[in-house]
Amino acid sequence: MSPNRRIRGGKVVPVANLYTIILGLAFCVVLATAVFVAYKCYLQYETIYFNIP
Amino acid sequence: MSTLTKILIVLVTISSIFLCGIVVTYVALADNYKEEHDKIKTERDGLVEKNKSLTEQRNVMEAQKIDKENELNSEITRLNTEIDTLKGQLKNFEDQRKSWLQRVSDMASVVETTTQTSKETTKLMMDKEAELNKLKADQIKLIDQFEDTSTTLLEKLAVIQTLEKEKKQLIEEKVELQNRMDKLLQPTGRTPAPVVTVTQKPDEIARPAPVIAKKIGLKGQVTAVDTKNKMASISIGTADGVKEGMKFHVTRGDKFICDMLIIDTDAEEAVGALELVQEQPKPGDTVSTNL
Repeated sequence: MSPNRRIRGGKVVPVANLYTIILGLAFCVVLATAVFVAYKCYLQYETIYFNIP
Repeated sequence: MSTLTKILIVLVTISSIFLCGIVVTYVALADNYKEEHDKIKTERDGLVEKNKSLTEQRNVMEAQKIDKENELNSEITRLNTEIDTLKGQLKNFEDQRKSWLQRVSDMASVVETTTQTSKETTKLMMDKEAELNKLKADQIKLIDQFEDTSTTLLEKLAVIQTLEKEKKQLIEEKVELQNRMDKLLQPTGRTPAPVVTVTQKPDEIARPAPVIAKKIGLKGQVTAVDTKNKMASISIGTADGVKEGMKFHVTRGDKFICDMLIIDTDAEEAVGALELVQEQPKPGDTVSTNL
């Protein structure tokens, strides 16, 4: 629970600040990496799952 | 938001970015193992197929090798048998060769002896032939002398006959004259004195009795001639008085052909060797003992 949370009309409104952007960037990077890895796996092994033939 | 949370957010972000970079780099640079696996698997399958075909080929080759070995073994056995046979034949041939060499050496010595004998015989024959030629020449000379002597003798005999006839006439004349003288002198009682001749009487010499030769007078014809062996047969034989060793003269009309020495006789036929051949005799030529 963020201490900087603002309460507007009894609802909790998330605070969008610099650290949220950084976290979003990190998430995007991780997601892009996962997509790239999946694409590469599909391209080379024709599946995105790891299995032992 | 506390400071620690902020620091953690920053650290998590940085670390996630760093790790994602590493992962991306690793994945981007990673080898395509599936492709390599497929490639290796294909190569392995090819090698397995090749190994299989080579194995089959080797089996076929081994079978062929076994067949070939069996064939060669049988061939070797056959050739060994043939070699043994040929060795036996070679041994026989060597024995035969030794015996033939021995015979050849024997024959060589025999031939050498024969050659020497032949040379001696040839030399002897040539000597005899020369002697025969000499004798023939002497015979011809003697025949000529004999003919001359015969002619002279005939002439002498003719002269002797004439002289004997004259002598007989003289004796008759002498007897006649003696008778006449006796008739003339007897009345007077005288007798004629014996006549003394100037020429003395030769001593009485015993004269040899004249040789009375009877000619045989056989005559016949040539019936066959063997030119190669210089032989001929004639139409008369022992029944006509022909004997071995007789000599016949072969003539054709007035022409002398040759002489023939009888060497074999039969009752109605005789065979002789031809000599002094002047011309080749023919059947029908006349043969006679006297010319």
